[in-house]
Amino acid sequence: MTSIANSIYFLPFQSIYSQNHFRDDKGWNSANLCWFRFDSPRPKWICGRSRWVSAIGASALDSAGNDGASVPVDGKGLDWERRINSFREMVNALPPATLVFKGTTPSKSVLILSIAIAILAIASRRIMLKRKDNSYQGSVADLVRRGQLRSDRRGISKPMKYDDPFNNPFVKIDKSCSTVEMFGKLYRLAPVTLTTEQKSVHQKRRSRVYQWKRPTVFLKEGDSMPPDIDPDTVRWIPANHPFATTVSDIDEDLAQNNVYQKDGVPFRVKAEHEAMQKKLQALQNEQRFNEVAINLNNIRDFERPSQSVKPHEQLEQDSSIYQQNGLINEGVDSSADNHQRN
Amino acid sequence: MSSPFPHLLPSSPLSPSLPLLFLPSKTLSPRHRRRSAVTAALQWNRKPQFAGETPRVVVVTSGKGGVGKTTTTANVGLSLARFGFSVVAIDADAGLRNLDLLLGLENRVNYTAVDVLNGDCRLDQALVRDRRCPSLELLCISKPRSKLPLGFGSKALTWVVDALRSRPAGPPHFVLIDCPAGIDAGFITAIAPANEAVLVTTPDITALRDADRVTGLLECDGIRDIKMIVNRVRTDLIRGEDMMSVLDVQEMLGLALLGVIPEDSEVIKSTNRGYPLVLNKPPTMAGLAFEQAAWRLVEQDTMTAVMVEEEPKKKGFFSFFGG
Ligand SMILES: Nc1ncnc2c1ncn2[C@@H]1O[C@H](COP(=O)(O)OP(=O)(O)O)[C@@H](O)[C@H]1O
Ligand SMILES: [Mg+2]
Repeated sequence: MTSIANSIYFLPFQSIYSQNHFRDDKGWNSANLCWFRFDSPRPKWICGRSRWVSAIGASALDSAGNDGASVPVDGKGLDWERRINSFREMVNALPPATLVFKGTTPSKSVLILSIAIAILAIASRRIMLKRKDNSYQGSVADLVRRGQLRSDRRGISKPMKYDDPFNNPFVKIDKSCSTVEMFGKLYRLAPVTLTTEQKSVHQKRRSRVYQWKRPTVFLKEGDSMPPDIDPDTVRWIPANHPFATTVSDIDEDLAQNNVYQKDGVPFRVKAEHEAMQKKLQALQNEQRFNEVAINLNNIRDFERPSQSVKPHEQLEQDSSIYQQNGLINEGVDSSADNHQRN
Repeated sequence: MSSPFPHLLPSSPLSPSLPLLFLPSKTLSPRHRRRSAVTAALQWNRKPQFAGETPRVVVVTSGKGGVGKTTTTANVGLSLARFGFSVVAIDADAGLRNLDLLLGLENRVNYTAVDVLNGDCRLDQALVRDRRCPSLELLCISKPRSKLPLGFGSKALTWVVDALRSRPAGPPHFVLIDCPAGIDAGFITAIAPANEAVLVTTPDITALRDADRVTGLLECDGIRDIKMIVNRVRTDLIRGEDMMSVLDVQEMLGLALLGVIPEDSEVIKSTNRGYPLVLNKPPTMAGLAFEQAAWRLVEQDTMTAVMVEEEPKKKGFFSFFGG
């Protein structure tokens, strides 16, 4: 125990430096070994980056407990003492350290220094953890990025690189083809036991239990039955169903044609355009008729509808651009501008 | 990376607690059977071979809501696109549209099928092309506030698929239809154009009952090619006998297995990001499972073996991931 008492003066150095840099792979069980590597023939300085981070964290949290960690070493007796002495010699050979601590009582300044470094270590650990968080993907921050959540635009994640689906290094199949290793776990293969006979038994059971004919006509509950429709094919929809709450002025044939249309101006856009042109013509005729008495109100009426009138070709081009870029407003504006210039 | 269970012998016999009710129908030598089981289990070093006629119109359905239809559609659709097939994914859920969210395309949906029907735009203008995988296109049936009109609701998707079949750019290889929950008008609309179905279910009794009912309706409608995906499989619950195993599910429904997807927290993360799981790098368990399911879908293959993970210390085992 006396040797321990002698070495107490140096213990803060241990908690500051040796923990950070000489932490053994096996952790603090072998802490005693770490700082004696000073005098071992080949000092071991190998520390991976992530290990270094965790070592800092551990030192910040455990610095109080480490003094106790060296107690069990006492059993090693003479060897211990010899090493302490060699370490003391080495520390004494470092002039700056002794100079710094000369003014005040050494234990106090060392304490302050160690606290300062512990705080530094905690801070740097926090920073490291924060950095890790930024690379974390699929968090709420992504919802913010996508405009689904209203908040500051934090955490804009980088796009994922395209991965080759035909080369997956995480899957390994062993030579005998009886096990598969995936993501580091080993799986055994159990054969699927379903037979075709079983399958057909299930099919027969279902065909007995469920008898159904897919309806092809939807009608709102309360509507009258159209004459040319087979009642078996009708599905009655409650009046509050979303399908039933919408009305359409387009009949079935027209809707089908709309779906089948491969090119050209979509039906409704064309119809609206034609209606607008008719209105425009009517207005122009009217204007020619009342040429003498120009009515200001009339002019205002004339200008408003002209905003949405577009020439045919322009229209077609625009509508294909809309879906590509989502530039509805810009498209409409520019074509309206073009028209007014004409 | 070395195996965490080095003492596990690869040739360990089947555990006796496995619900082995029937012997495998084929009488192949064990070694041969194993090999084919593995090739059915995992594929990744070749392009899958397309089977069937183009376009293959597949409806993804379940009966019960929230079991993962939309997740499946997004991930299988994107996997198919990555394999090099052209895919049109249709969100047929008029009330609760969210396939666009899962694909991260919500800001690019300007026109929907309703706009096409009304003549506000052409069908090709309503298809939203995914920039990550240009062979994937999305069509939403309606915007949240504009609903599909009753009059042609039942036929709308049939027309859409017909139009895709004859489009100038050529028909897509796959049309994947994300079916709404339930078996009402939305369901009828969604299954109308389909000629095969992927039934998504979770290993719990409520989902299974709905799944059985939906399977019955699909069979009545003449859709005979129905395969199932068992989603949200939790290994810990199966081990504790608190959850049915995949083979239990299969025994109850009597359907061929297209895939087994483990419960994976990455699913919700990928939903947040609008980035389907199968694009994750490094790949995730669930993403890989979806990719393998897509692979089998292309080849019209089914799982011949289920992967079982053995824990070294505890005696229990649990089926986990598709094979
Ligand atoms: N394998 C899985 N692991 C974890 N969560 C899942 C999984 N599959 C689906 N989910 C979650 O379940 C919820 C419902 O999924 P969704 O695909 O929208 O179901 P549905 O379209 O059938 O209503 C989503 O929040 C999704 O994140
Ligand atoms: Mg859904």
